[in-house]
Amino acid sequence: MLQQRLVEALGADAVKTAPEDLAVYAFDAYSQGVMPAAVVLPGSTREVAAAVKIANDCGEPIIPRGAGTGLCGGAIPARGGVVFSFARMNRVLEVDVRNRRARVQPGLINLDLSKHVAQAGLFYAPDPSSQKVSTIGGNIGTNAGGPHCLSYGTTVNHVLELEIVDENGDVITTSLDDIGYDLTGVLVGSEGTLAIVTSAWVRLLRQPETVRVWLAAFDDVNAASAAVTGIIGAGIIPTALEMMDQVMLPPIEAAFHAGYPTDAAAVLLIESAGFEDEMNLHESEIRRVVKEHNATTWRAAKTEAERDALWAGRKGALGATGRIAPNYYIQDIVVPRTKLPQALQAVADACEPQGIIAGNVFHAGDGNLHPLLMYDRGDTKQVAAVIEAGNQILEAAVDLGGTISGEHGIGYEKRDTLRRIFSTDDLATMSRVREVFDPRRRLNPEKIFPAGVGCAEVQ
Amino acid sequence: MIASTAPGRVVAKSIETLRETLGRCDREGLKVLIEGGKTLAGMGPAMPRADVSLATTGLDKMLAHEFADLTCSAQSGMRVAQFNAALAKHGQFVPIDVPLRKKATIGGSLAAGWPGPRRHFYGRARDFVIGSQVCLADGTLANSGGMVVKNVSGYNMEKLYIGSFGTLAVFTHLNFKTLPIPKKRRALIAPLPEATRPRAVAQIASLAVTPAAAFCVEGFGKNIDGSDDIDGRVLLYFEGSEELLERATLDARSALGKAGVPETTIVDTGASESFDRTLDACIANKRGRSITYRLFGTPGTAEERAVRLRDAANRHELFTDVLFDVMNGDVFMRASERDARRFAEKIGACHAELRELEPRCAIVAGDTAARASFEPWGAVPPAIEKMRALKARFDPHGTLNPGRFIGGI
Repeated sequence: MLQQRLVEALGADAVKTAPEDLAVYAFDAYSQGVMPAAVVLPGSTREVAAAVKIANDCGEPIIPRGAGTGLCGGAIPARGGVVFSFARMNRVLEVDVRNRRARVQPGLINLDLSKHVAQAGLFYAPDPSSQKVSTIGGNIGTNAGGPHCLSYGTTVNHVLELEIVDENGDVITTSLDDIGYDLTGVLVGSEGTLAIVTSAWVRLLRQPETVRVWLAAFDDVNAASAAVTGIIGAGIIPTALEMMDQVMLPPIEAAFHAGYPTDAAAVLLIESAGFEDEMNLHESEIRRVVKEHNATTWRAAKTEAERDALWAGRKGALGATGRIAPNYYIQDIVVPRTKLPQALQAVADACEPQGIIAGNVFHAGDGNLHPLLMYDRGDTKQVAAVIEAGNQILEAAVDLGGTISGEHGIGYEKRDTLRRIFSTDDLATMSRVREVFDPRRRLNPEKIFPAGVGCAEVQ
Repeated sequence: MIASTAPGRVVAKSIETLRETLGRCDREGLKVLIEGGKTLAGMGPAMPRADVSLATTGLDKMLAHEFADLTCSAQSGMRVAQFNAALAKHGQFVPIDVPLRKKATIGGSLAAGWPGPRRHFYGRARDFVIGSQVCLADGTLANSGGMVVKNVSGYNMEKLYIGSFGTLAVFTHLNFKTLPIPKKRRALIAPLPEATRPRAVAQIASLAVTPAAAFCVEGFGKNIDGSDDIDGRVLLYFEGSEELLERATLDARSALGKAGVPETTIVDTGASESFDRTLDACIANKRGRSITYRLFGTPGTAEERAVRLRDAANRHELFTDVLFDVMNGDVFMRASERDARRFAEKIGACHAELRELEPRCAIVAGDTAARASFEPWGAVPPAIEKMRALKARFDPHGTLNPGRFIGGI
């Protein structure tokens, strides 16, 4: 019944029901969910709306999916249902150069948008490390960040208007220029639990005149952390301020030959963008600060190729973990940036007693850590130890005044941990929004809210 | 502790007072008018029935300024100027660009959703809010976000409350990320006749050094700089390092020169005050004889929309002052007359024509009597039913500012 109606509405090519096809959509980058009943690949808003109505008629959950790169199980079909893939809705619909904005479909790959508008001297700022594959729709769902959100802000700062299909299959638009509640702001980061985004107007920024990238190495990770605070304290907010630690530097260098010093305890990768004169000032000031914190190496990328090489190492860091262990588990925590030393110590304290190797590659300027816990999936003891250590790291972040996700989202993985940072009343208040948009809990069920939570159940 | 300054008026000096007052009113079916600094009281209709007015101005403390982390937490009743003065002690600020910032509260400013002319440069004030606590209609306190600069844990609840005009909840405190204060500010002011304006606007939009704010103004002379009310002029505000401002000045003068604007005045001392006066002009009222409309849109259509509103008002023989934001597209048009009687005679037909031309133009200022007979918000947005459902879910008894927001919310 479900399959037949979906095929009638969308065409056979846009509906997948073969077990081998469905199996692919049971996973995302975090874990496996339940096999979905069907996967649809709508080609238009109208088809999305039609498929939502059919799923509703058949009582099936609805799971919007971007590229499946999410790290918290946000795209897994936790209760089966119909997975909506936007692989066929992947176009730039309109570029408005004068007003620096573009209207895009949700399946558009993040990096493709910047490539598309580059000739007009523009770019799209949110740049998660997955930007070569992750989609704008998925980025909207998780309110994705990236190294450059230190200066430019996360996805929510760059979404101007949304076209959505709601749980009834009705098409609605929301805009920051509308007088009324900021539904756009609430929908961004709601991980597909409130509506399905079918197109978005996003803000574009003008490409900077000059981009400078510097590398500073330290023989003490605490000194590197203090330098991060020192740079920000000097009144400079770089466009990116990233840290890599001793565990990660050798494998990254081996994989990418970026020129990282492999014997350093920590390396800061610092980028600033703007006008030539200002960048000269930034360079001298940042250099002064890192010297004060006993940097052992200072290097400025002299060419675009050098700059790209330094960034290639950082952005490809996760892939380099294969040189340490067969698998890695990445956490995503945020602490006030002055608490970075304590947070790094907490990561070590959680991992070392259990024999887990932990590397750190992260957005230091935001206080957003990504501890990488190395393990072998085939070893059940290691799996259990990594999960335990991951939980301890989350606890530590909360104890340090931080939070349990800076850019990956809550998804399936962290929903129970949400109780560590929000009270019953806080969660019940959030749940009121869910009740308005999705009273039947059909949109991406089992995500964000702690298990079993409806408003009453939170109590 | 409840400090009652007038019958039916409560100034909450503690969270507990706020909770108790709201909870009691909600239980007893009393309607509550939420007050901040009352600077934007010209927005929205008067409440059909207000049993209690609840002011947040007693909640005026900076709770924390973690200057090394570039974060802070402040109670909602803190005045915007007072708030930024406290941050300035450590060389920081938050760009909350609202009129009358010495009187406006941070909670009221954000609740009113005033978007601000520096938003293309720094981001919207809402993008600096990293966490909040609100009091719901029944007195429940609810937190969202936190004290870190990046956070995707749960829904962006603060975004929902910001711009909700106090109809969903009342802010008790807000957490912000802060910015270093720019080293220097500079205003460039030049006469700008209407014939030259389209070329000048195009030049400003493509300046290499983006102005922090840019306005084209026609009128508002007494409010902004004391110049002749009918003069057109352009006001550019730059913020940044000395070197950047020098380059900006050269570029802007050259660009305006190409557009046919020969002379530009540089204002360094008093640039901030000039900027503040421009913001204040957006809601400046001529007692009993003016109404100011605001219309959002893209920057590329701002001039066209401004002229359309102005010409419509002129057709009804009303005086007009016009101000539009070159970088963000906001248009403000004040229609006025020499006396209240003549204004009252003309404004009805003018308002009807403006709404026909631009259904989304909203009234943001004007005496209560002058605007009483008009629906102030304009056309409802496409998602109005979701908004109504949210209001019903958050405030089922219609306790908070009932009827004051768009669509009768």
